[in-house]
Amino acid sequence: MLERRSALASAKPYVGSTLKIAERPGFTLTQVAGLSPDFETKLSTVVGPLPETVARAQVNDARTLFRLGPGQFWIVGPETDDAAAKLQGQCAVTPLNSSRVRVSLEGAPAREALSRLMPVDLHPSVFTPGGVALTGIHHTPVTVHCAAENAFDIYVMRTFAVTVWEAITDAARLFADRS
Amino acid sequence: MTRFRRLPQGGRIDRAKPVSARFDGKALGGFAGDTLASALLANDQVLIGRSFKYHRPRGLVAAGIEEPNGLFTLGEGATTEPNVAATMVDLVDGLVARTQNAWPSAGFDLMAVNSILSPLFQSGFYYKTFMGPTKGSWMFYEPFIREAAGLGKATGLPDPDRYDMRYAFCDVLVVGSGPAGLAAALTAGRSGARVVLADQDSDFGGSLLSGNDAGHEAWRIACIGELKSLPNAETCARTTVQGLYDGNLAVLVENRSHLRPDARKGEARMLLTQLRAKTIVMATGAIERPLVFSNNDRPGVMLASALRSYTNRFAVAPDKRAVIVTNNDTAYQAALDLATAGVAVTVADHRASVSADILSRAGAKGIAIFPGSGIFDVEGAKGVTRVKLGGAHAVTIECDAVGMAGGWSPVVHLSSHGGIKPKFDEAAAGFVPGGFPASHYGAGAMMGTYGLSAAIAEGSNAGASAASYAGFGKTRPVYAPEHVTDRSYAILPTWAPAYSAKGKAFVDFQSDVTIKDVKIAHQEGYRSVEHLKRYTTLGMGTDQGKTSNINALALMAEYRGITIPEAGTTTFRPPYAPLTMGAIAGRTVGAHFRPVRLSPLHDWHVKNGATFIDAGLWKRAWFYSWAGATPETAYVKEMELVRRGVGLADVSTLGKIDIQGPDAAEFLNRVYVNGFAKLPVGKVRYGVMLNDDGIVLDDGTTARISDNQFYMTTTTAQAGEVMSWLEYLLQCHWTDLNVQVASLTDEWAGMAVSGPKAREALQLAFPAEDLSNDALPYMGCKDFPFEGVTVRLLRMSFSGELAYEVHVAADYAISLWAHILKAAAPTGIKPYGLEALASLRIEKGHVAGLELDHRNTLDDLGLGKMAGKEKDYVGRALRFREDCQSPERWSLVGLELMEPDKKLRGGSILFAATDEIKGHGRGYITSVTWSTELNTFIALGLYKGGLGHEGEEIIAAFPLKNEQARLKIVSPHFIDKEGARLHA
Repeated sequence: MLERRSALASAKPYVGSTLKIAERPGFTLTQVAGLSPDFETKLSTVVGPLPETVARAQVNDARTLFRLGPGQFWIVGPETDDAAAKLQGQCAVTPLNSSRVRVSLEGAPAREALSRLMPVDLHPSVFTPGGVALTGIHHTPVTVHCAAENAFDIYVMRTFAVTVWEAITDAARLFADRS
Repeated sequence: MTRFRRLPQGGRIDRAKPVSARFDGKALGGFAGDTLASALLANDQVLIGRSFKYHRPRGLVAAGIEEPNGLFTLGEGATTEPNVAATMVDLVDGLVARTQNAWPSAGFDLMAVNSILSPLFQSGFYYKTFMGPTKGSWMFYEPFIREAAGLGKATGLPDPDRYDMRYAFCDVLVVGSGPAGLAAALTAGRSGARVVLADQDSDFGGSLLSGNDAGHEAWRIACIGELKSLPNAETCARTTVQGLYDGNLAVLVENRSHLRPDARKGEARMLLTQLRAKTIVMATGAIERPLVFSNNDRPGVMLASALRSYTNRFAVAPDKRAVIVTNNDTAYQAALDLATAGVAVTVADHRASVSADILSRAGAKGIAIFPGSGIFDVEGAKGVTRVKLGGAHAVTIECDAVGMAGGWSPVVHLSSHGGIKPKFDEAAAGFVPGGFPASHYGAGAMMGTYGLSAAIAEGSNAGASAASYAGFGKTRPVYAPEHVTDRSYAILPTWAPAYSAKGKAFVDFQSDVTIKDVKIAHQEGYRSVEHLKRYTTLGMGTDQGKTSNINALALMAEYRGITIPEAGTTTFRPPYAPLTMGAIAGRTVGAHFRPVRLSPLHDWHVKNGATFIDAGLWKRAWFYSWAGATPETAYVKEMELVRRGVGLADVSTLGKIDIQGPDAAEFLNRVYVNGFAKLPVGKVRYGVMLNDDGIVLDDGTTARISDNQFYMTTTTAQAGEVMSWLEYLLQCHWTDLNVQVASLTDEWAGMAVSGPKAREALQLAFPAEDLSNDALPYMGCKDFPFEGVTVRLLRMSFSGELAYEVHVAADYAISLWAHILKAAAPTGIKPYGLEALASLRIEKGHVAGLELDHRNTLDDLGLGKMAGKEKDYVGRALRFREDCQSPERWSLVGLELMEPDKKLRGGSILFAATDEIKGHGRGYITSVTWSTELNTFIALGLYKGGLGHEGEEIIAAFPLKNEQARLKIVSPHFIDKEGARLHA
């Protein structure tokens, strides 16, 4: 088996007592897109209820679903997920497991740190758990998922992962422990 | 002689917290709550600097952001910050400040000789004096003028401070925390709306901070207390709203310098906020205007409101006597407060009569009032000694300070940033907002509403309206403190001095513009306020004419015999106040200046001696240390490796697109000029696509993975553009096609295995696969599993040699790359970089980004024969425009250097042998390399008439280095024209 290597393997870790920033690997990412009118029905048969809007994620057991736009979804599943295989032939299935790095921010200052990075209203009454923002950090497109009150998953393009990681950890320097 | 003293009690300073700063190398004491300006005055430092042009002695004029004179250089070494208004600097321990634009000191400045030469420096003197005698004289004088002019000097050292930025959102933004702003913010806050209150001052309250009324103070404290208790309200002190932009975007900059932030801890000296507000209430207040009279710039002459601020807020007052000159009632607040502080006050009032109420209250404080009088002259060299009045009471008064009260100018900057010109309000004798968009409101002095209770009512109403607009209904209004009597204004606007000696009468203190300069501008035809500004430099300083603009345009209106509204105002643009460049740059400095894109193989390259080169945002392996220490030597070795053995190159930067659907083949057939409808599964095809204007957009390859799935590669440069183009075509033009596209650029890594030993190398790496010519011929492709991962092998060549591309999921790229190098080591395989890769393709005659520059047609690039004759494709119609088919177009040629002792340079201009070497020539060199095959420099270029001139000798000129070389036009395919190597 070839060794799998994260895009952030050489990135400088972030150490913070109140704010945790870390890569959260161990997921599969599959993009699916419709090629037939009953696409969403077929999809929901395999993965469960679908998110109603782009702005909300749908968590079905171990899978989190994102609606990217008309007839396009992301399925974020566990490290081994049979969703892609089950959907093969029913729609356009594009594995994107290597294409994104998932960075998580967790802790009380997470919203303040993120406010330094992306033009999204992060007020707790606005960006609530389950909320999704297709936005940009450091000039690159990212998908941000509010996983819990003060926990966020950011899906970053792999080739920009290091530069975005550095931008995130720099923005959060105020909350880092001093080494 | 002007003297100021610290009052024994009062003020908002904390006398229990002494502060020690340094000013011009000496200790400067004060208290917490002082500004640098108030501390200077408290230490009787009245002469604080020299003026811009004439180097006249200057003192403080204001107590706020409008200060024109009190500019200092703060900090030392790398933290040096020039031109900072002392009125906006908190006095903190360790603060270091020094005067600027004076040498050796502000007290004795040798450049004061300029004052004697002042007739030379009248308005327009640059243009009159330095334009001759020859045409280029200005260029000669300019460095000297720039050296002599200016105020403080910035350091060239990197700024060690940290500047941060954030995004924020709210329902109601209230700008300014004076009575109107506080009322607006609290009323909006009570509705539940998310409110942000921003004020440039270190405390909230605006004009109330300069008052001494206990009832007003109690009201202020109560408002702030309630506001801060609201979970939906955010209060931002020391935060200047620098600009308003479309979509209710406000840019706020908070100055945290007083906290002495430690950049190593991530603490920022300034925080820039991009705030998007649903509604905005502007309560930006008003700035008092000076009056224009002889020697009105003597140190000790300041705004009456400033005298009041220093007295009440900072407990610093003139030592014994002050003279206040006014044309309105508001000056009497300052007069009364000064008198209360023990200062003897005389008021010269331009108006013939003063109200009985004022006379009564002033009389009770022992204030002498001279109606119908103004200042004739101010005496004193480095500070006021006495004032001569003119008019009804031509008396001379010994004094320490002079207060000017010329009326108030509403701060209409923000309301004008969106392009709405302010309008002149006769009653307010100033410009007020000319209107607001639906979600903007104004309140208080900025609307010309100067009474306290009226301003509070207006603010509360604006806050309620703003909250309602944002969707919040119920609120409670904020009421003014009880028993408030609104002050009267009763202004008699006066612009030109009624009584004046022959001393300089300044309109703009910071830019040293006098009333005479305005007259000269008028006489010389610079009568528009915009021309006046530029001819005299009026309003062009760091204060942007906050105290001078209205006086100047009123004077110009008077000279022109038109009204002030007819004269108009200059344009207000962001930023409202001087802004450190660092605050704009924020964290986007150094390594964070722009995003960097890394190949999945980047870490391997780093560890294995690659030198990198920027290619767009990408960091690409340029060459490797095994081949040499410099690109000039290394790339030739790497080329030889590929031509004679086998090399491995990282091509992960190529764009990669997944195309799926029953109409995918038809879609590609329309996108590419050549046919793709019948491309068999397992085959790859080179394709070119055009923009709809018939110009080449990009080239690349597409492999058919299955009946309904294709794998497209694009050039690195056009990857994003092609992806967008495909989505656009599907979503807007060909909605009938059942196709889905997805970017795979980040998902897949790519590596090129090139050279005569490429098959041998890959066979060693993948022994289970049949890679024979029969099993995988040229332009064939296959997917196969290897070590648990799918590997995609495409047999195609950019170098012209037997070559393959190996694609794999990016996470596995390094281990597969390392495996290939290890397994194929017996072949001598080594990595080669971008320089060699790009040079190999020149020898083969492949076009790339330098030729695909969005200006060339298919035929220009020699690719016209590829296009399908029977089918339609994007760009076909316009491709056949007459000009696009002209034989005289610049088209692709190969070029061989005919002079071995010379070298070729990219970008060289091409001329026919008989041409004069001048102008744009007949074309240019796009790509150049040393050819290891031909042992000479070769190039690709675009030349008028193209290969119609094959065999001709031409000239390549490189004017920047004054070089010329003789070339021969040849086929762009320098090697293996038959393609034998590709098919080996």
